[in-house]
This record gives sequence, C-alpha cells and structure tokens, in this order.
Amino acid sequence: MSTRDQHGRGRLRLPAPRPRTARLAAALALAAGLTAPLAPAAGEARAADDDGKRVLTVAVAQSVDSLSPFLATRLVSTSIHRLTYEYLTDYDVKDARAIPGLATEWAPSADKLTWTYTIRSDAAWSDGRKVTAEDAAWTFNTMMTDPDAATANGSFVTNFEKVTAPSPTELVIRLKKPQATMTALDVPILPRHVWEKVGDYSEFNNDKDFPVVGSGPFVLTDYKPDSYVRLEANKNFWRGAPEFDELVFKYYKDGDAAVAALQKGEVSFVGNLTPAQAEALGNQENIKVNDAPGRRFLALAVNPGARARNGEEFGDGHASLRDQRVRHALFLAVDRKTLVDRVFRGHAVEGEGYIPPRFSTYYWEPSPDQELAHDPAEANRLLDEAGYRRNGDGRRVGEDGEPLTYRVLCHATDPNDKAVGQYLKEWWGELGIGMDLECLDNVSDPWLAGEYDLAFDGWSVNPDPDFVLSIHTCAALPATPRDTGATDNFICDKKYDDLYARQLAEYDPAKRADLVKQAVSRLYDLGYMNVMAYPNAVEAYRTDQIASITTMPEQAGNIYGQDGYWSWWSAEPAASAGSSGGTGSTGVVIGIVAGVVVLAGVGGFLAMRRRATAEDRE
Amino acid sequence: MTDTTGAAPPSVRALVRQRRRRAASRFWRQYRAHRAGLVGLAGLALFALVALTAPLTVGSDVAGVTDAPGRPLEGPTAEFPLGTDRFGRDLLGLLVWGSRVSLLVGLLAAALSVVIGALVGITAGHFKGAYATVIMRVTDWFLVMPALVLAVALAAVMPRSLGTVILAIGVTSWPTTARLVRAQTLAVESRPYIERAKALGGGHGHIMTRHVLPNVMPLVLAQTTLMVSASILTEATLAFLGVGDPTVVSWGGMLQDAREAGAVSAGDWWYLVPPGIAIAGVALAFTLCGRAVESVLNPRLGVAR
Repeated sequence: MSTRDQHGRGRLRLPAPRPRTARLAAALALAAGLTAPLAPAAGEARAADDDGKRVLTVAVAQSVDSLSPFLATRLVSTSIHRLTYEYLTDYDVKDARAIPGLATEWAPSADKLTWTYTIRSDAAWSDGRKVTAEDAAWTFNTMMTDPDAATANGSFVTNFEKVTAPSPTELVIRLKKPQATMTALDVPILPRHVWEKVGDYSEFNNDKDFPVVGSGPFVLTDYKPDSYVRLEANKNFWRGAPEFDELVFKYYKDGDAAVAALQKGEVSFVGNLTPAQAEALGNQENIKVNDAPGRRFLALAVNPGARARNGEEFGDGHASLRDQRVRHALFLAVDRKTLVDRVFRGHAVEGEGYIPPRFSTYYWEPSPDQELAHDPAEANRLLDEAGYRRNGDGRRVGEDGEPLTYRVLCHATDPNDKAVGQYLKEWWGELGIGMDLECLDNVSDPWLAGEYDLAFDGWSVNPDPDFVLSIHTCAALPATPRDTGATDNFICDKKYDDLYARQLAEYDPAKRADLVKQAVSRLYDLGYMNVMAYPNAVEAYRTDQIASITTMPEQAGNIYGQDGYWSWWSAEPAASAGSSGGTGSTGVVIGIVAGVVVLAGVGGFLAMRRRATAEDRE
Repeated sequence: MTDTTGAAPPSVRALVRQRRRRAASRFWRQYRAHRAGLVGLAGLALFALVALTAPLTVGSDVAGVTDAPGRPLEGPTAEFPLGTDRFGRDLLGLLVWGSRVSLLVGLLAAALSVVIGALVGITAGHFKGAYATVIMRVTDWFLVMPALVLAVALAAVMPRSLGTVILAIGVTSWPTTARLVRAQTLAVESRPYIERAKALGGGHGHIMTRHVLPNVMPLVLAQTTLMVSASILTEATLAFLGVGDPTVVSWGGMLQDAREAGAVSAGDWWYLVPPGIAIAGVALAFTLCGRAVESVLNPRLGVAR
C-alpha cells in the first residue's frame, strides 16, 4: 500500500475528476479559524450525540483521491481502507511483525515459489456473506489482469504467476521469482460478489452505494468530498467490535480551525500540528498532545531528466542537475540541524537515509566519509570542479553563460515546504545559485510532466519498505511519456535496480535488511533523493472524549495514519463527557481587546465625522 | 525678473505658472479645511517616510531567515519590541520592511487600474456608437465579476512575482473608474466649447487630450487615491491567501505566515495584530486623503461644503 503524506502530497492522476483544494474553501475555513477562538468556549464535549451514539470525530485536511482501493494512494484514503477492508496479514501494533489478518497461517513451499494461506472462517462481509479465499484470489487476479486495477498497488502482484482458491479457506499464490513481501501484502481484499459487477475500474471510485460492503472494523456509510467521511462500527468484526459506534473524518482545511474545533470539543482528534499549536495545546486540560517519531520523511527530490520506459525523454529538468557533483553541492549547502531546530522546532529528526530511524531493521546511516554533512566550502569546491564558475555578479553560470536558477516545486498546502524553501533560497544564494519557489495547490501536473528541477517530496514508510523502494526503480517509469508510472521522480539506476531485485527475492530477514540498506546507500550516493528531516507525528486528542487510544508502535508511536486499524479500533470513549469550558481563554481575551480597540477607533472616527459635517446636516 | 510695473505684458509661460500657483494654493487652502484629510495626509507622510528610509533603518537583512537573530515566536521583549516570527526574525523590522512592498504594490496597481479605467472611460465617452457599446459591455462584465476571484485566478495561472500581483489587481479593479470617467467625459463633451473646438478643426486626439482629459483629471486624481487603499487591501488579501510570492515580505504575507505557523490557536497576538493594524492604517490614510481631495475638486460636493 502506498501512503502519500497528509498534506496532499498525492500526485496521482486519475481519469475521474476529483475534488481539489479550493482556495476559497480554504479562505472560508480560515475565516472560521480566525473567528472561532473569539467565540465563547461553551458547550460540553461531544463524545456522544443525541441518540446516545458514541461518535469519534477526527479532523483531517487531505482530500480523498478515491475510495476505490484499486486507485487510492493518499494517506487519508488508504487509512480509510485499513479501517473498512481486512488484509491478508496485519502488522503487530508493538513491533510491526506480520500477524494474522484474514489469513490465519501462511507458508512458502520448499522452492520458495508457492505460498499457501489459510483464510479464517469467522470473517464476514458487512452484508452477511462469508469472506472466502475466492474473494482474495479474485482481488489479486483482477489486479494482475486489469492494468486499471493495478494503479495503486500493482507493485505487489507484478511477480505473481497464478493465484487460485482450491477451497474457501485456502489461497495459493504461485510466484515467478521469490518475493520477500508475501507476509506484508498491503492490499485490501475486496468482496467479489460486489466488485465483479463494476465495469471500468479506472472510473469507479466506490463512493456511490452506501453502506459500502467491507470486512474491516468499520463500515463506510457516507462520504461527501472535502466535507466528511462517515464510518460505522462493524459489530460483527472478527477481532471484536470497536468501542465507538461511529467514526467521522471531518474536513478542516485550516489547521487553526481544526485546533479551535478541538478546543471546543467539536472534534476529538487533530493531527499534523505546528510546533506553536502543540505548545499551546500542551498546556490545556483535557487535551493530550502526542509527539512521537513519525513514519514520514521530508526530502528534496531532484528531476534527473524525466523519461519513459520506451526511452523517450520529456519534461524540462535543468541539465546541470544530471551532474552528481551539482546535486551533492546543493545538498551540502543544506543545514539540516537548523531546519530541525527552526522549522520543526525540535519536532523532527535530522534526515539521513531514505528510511526513518523508527524502522530500526532497515534504518541506514551514511558513514562519516560518505555523509553529505553541511559544508558550504565543499559545495563551492564541487561546483567549481563541475565547471559552474561565478560571473561578475557572483552568480554561477553554465557553459551557455546563463546563471543557474532552479525551480523548486512546493506544496502550497504545506507550511513546512515554504519555510524550508526560504532557507534553501538563502543557502543556495550564497553558493551563487538562484531559486524560484513555485508553491502550487496541485503539484501533480508539472510533476508528472517532469517540468520542474527540484521538488519537496515525502512519503509515509510502511514497516516493510518494499513499496517506497519500488518507486525508484526503472520498472516504475511510465511506459510512454503519455502514461502515468508508479515512479516517484523518474530515477532509473541499474545498480539500484539490481539491489532492489535482490532484496525482494531474499527470504532471510537479516540478509534482506542488509540488501535494503545497500539499496538505500546507493540512493543516498546518487543524490536524487535528499532526505532533510523525519518529522514527528504531532497530534492531539481530547481525554474527556477518548479515554485511551493505542499508538503504533505502542511505545511512542503515531495515532493517525497507522499501518493498521489499531488506533480507532482500540479507542475507548471516556466515561463521562465533562465540560470543556475555559479553553481558548487567551483567544477570547485577545478577541475582546481587539474588538474594543476597533470599536473605540470607529466610534472616534464617526464622532469626528459628525462634527466635521455638522453644518451640512439638516 | 520681469518688471511687473512696466508696459511689457508678462509672458504666457509666466501667466500659466502664476495661475497654477494660485490654483494650488487655493486647493491647499480648501484641503486644509478638511481635518480628516490632514490626518490622512500626516499618516501617509509617516508611512512614506518609514518605507523610504527602511533600507537605512532596518536594511534588507531583516528578511533573511538564515541569520535570524531570535528564537522562533518569541513574545515582545526589549530587544524585539514586537516579538519574533516563526523563523526568529524581528517582527518590527519585518513590519517596516513589509511596508515597502505593500505601498509599492498598492500605488502601482492603483496607477495601472486608473490608467486603464481613464483610457476606457474617455474613449468610450468620446467615440459613441458601436465601439462604446462593446467596450462598456466589457466593462460591465468586469464590474459584475467578483474582482477577488478574478485576481486569484489570474495570479494562480501567472508566475509568482510582484509584477503578477500588481497586474492581477490592476486589471480587475478598473471598471468603476471607467464608468465614472465616461460619465464625466459625456458631461464635458456636451459643453459648447467642445463643439467650437471641433468646428475649428480639432481632431479626436486633440479633444480628448487637450479638453476632456484636463477636465476629468480631478476625478481621476481622487479616484486614484481611493483606489490605492483598495489595492493595498487586495494585495494583503492575495498574499494572505498564499497567492503572492512566499519569499517576499509583505504585510499580507506576514499574516499568512502567522496563520500557517498556528499563531491564531497559539494566541501569539504580536504576530497577527501589527500587520493587521498597519494595513488598516495605511488604507484609512489613503481613504481620508482621497475623500478630502474629492470634496475639494468635485464642484458639486465643494458647493455643498
């Protein structure tokens, strides 16, 4: 399962129109955010609605790209799929090892090419039918035969030769080559009896017919784009019913509006807090701030010259960036310590390799002589060596005499992108390199067309790193310039591909981890993906609405966007919904003071006008 | 020096100069009577002084993030009277530095808007017929379009720069001026001396530039002053909505930064209030001046007062 980050990092091009972040909506939400803290913080916490239903409301910002598991790649959508569809295996909440999901047992054959899964007999679809091996086989077979169905998770099945279901409880997968991810197939299993009636999978977004038949701890009952996603508890879930009766993902396009809603008790959970928000919420009663190592990274991706599998080149990436020395020089000028200290204010870890330190099995750090540590002098030396000399104005020029200026794509919805961008502009300015920060709501179009030089990039990494590694292989490139490939930023490197293939075929965990680290090391040296930071998961929830909730990993982990349904499934409602009065008092005081000042000003002005026009009035 | 007692008549140029000087002093006398106008003028002078001397008082270094002097989001202290922003930059310095962009964009966008408006208005009023009908329908179309939405759309498709913002504001806010100027042009052109000028062989260009333009100029001047405050507000709105160039320091951009840093929910008022007051202050100053100029120059208002 691919997991694009919270703030609309998704760049998938879908044939069906999908909601975009409307600036006006943002403006309205923003207006709400500005006024909300000024309203008296009345009202009691709303963990229960009028009919005594226990509702858990979660504030989200990222738009859903699609609710079809065949198409969805954004974090919000894949999180919903985790809740509504069971997978063959789940990740253990403590150490992320594979544990039984729909499959109770699994074993490879001696030649490592045939995997047999035993499907549990106590799992049922929400419409009452039993979940069988036939459903799983159909899901995989559809992805293998229909390229549209392989849009999101195709990388898991490219190596499958044949998938069969000899009996309702037995699933057999025959592979072409050994595949190490067989216990971590992040593919939602779909109900065959519903989905085989769907005609075109590229057009079907699974958002018309409610409730949506599923097998997870929650059932999708309603969805309105950029407004809400409503899920009801599945009382017959085989692992046990969730404690809350309903789970609602409510849209707040503005972070401050979401925080205000949390303070007033309108939502129970808010993720992706800024350092200032986390600090402010940390001092309030009934609110707990969870600040834990995240599973994301924030990287600077370089356009290596976009190309397709058929060899055609497209896009207009800067030619100088094909020189490794230039890429290294750009990254050598980046002071990651300052970024963590200033932009994230400590709520992040300095970036090193491609995989965050939380995944200790695969985490790789560069050796001291390999590391691209902050060193502007070395960066200048590399640029001189590469032949980009300074001209009279101190700008570095290429052979054509044009000063070097790079376009950097940034997500307008992500404040961190803009903040980091300002630092980059100054650091590179000292190297004599110009930079244009192009912040867009929708970066997909220039990104897929290869019309950028560098870009802010970020992925949430799964416990099994296969997916995030697969998006940098040559096989992920689009077939032709008109197609969309799974590739992240058009990297294609023979040596990396070789290491990737070897890790995928390696069943021994220790040896595989070593190969993964070698692949990450190669990626680091190439300089196409420069990880700047691993941002923490900074989130907050109301303790008077949620008594307890499981993070993943249990010791210091995130709540939103887990590799599983643990957080929302395990969340326990608080016994009594107490009053949440007194929150946001600072906002109220400021609001009143500002209001008085404005009123006094207006009053004074009017009085003056009245006097000035006294003789004109009748 | 010319001998004023002598028989030699004063030269034409001297007469013109004398007339202009008298007109200016009369204007100033009447303007002085408007207290609000004086307050506005004083405010404007203050803002202009701050903006023009900014390179000496704070310097462009104040906008640099890499060598920001403070910690992020510090409250007001003796060292930073208005606290620091999310990068640890001095907010007072940023406020002073940001005035340059806000004023520059406001003035240029207003000038652009008024130039377009005056051009459209005068030509539409002068050439009647099909041309006027077409051009006034275009004006009407721009008039009913929500200007902010149009400006956001324009700024979104063009490259991010100050020029884009100026253009976006300028080309969306001219219709009011065009309507006003056209009405005045029609009034001027119905006067007998225009007919006389035509009879003496005055062409279109001559009539429009020598007779109509001087007569609509007072209106245009007043409209410009009023337009500046609207442009400054629009610039702040656009920057606040994130349409501007994020690396340029402006008042609206500061508000946007504050919002993104979560200053609203954190209660960091020193990040939000000063740019807001500055925007309101400069817009108010221009409005006060504009109103005063309008009532001095507009004959109908002038008689009433």
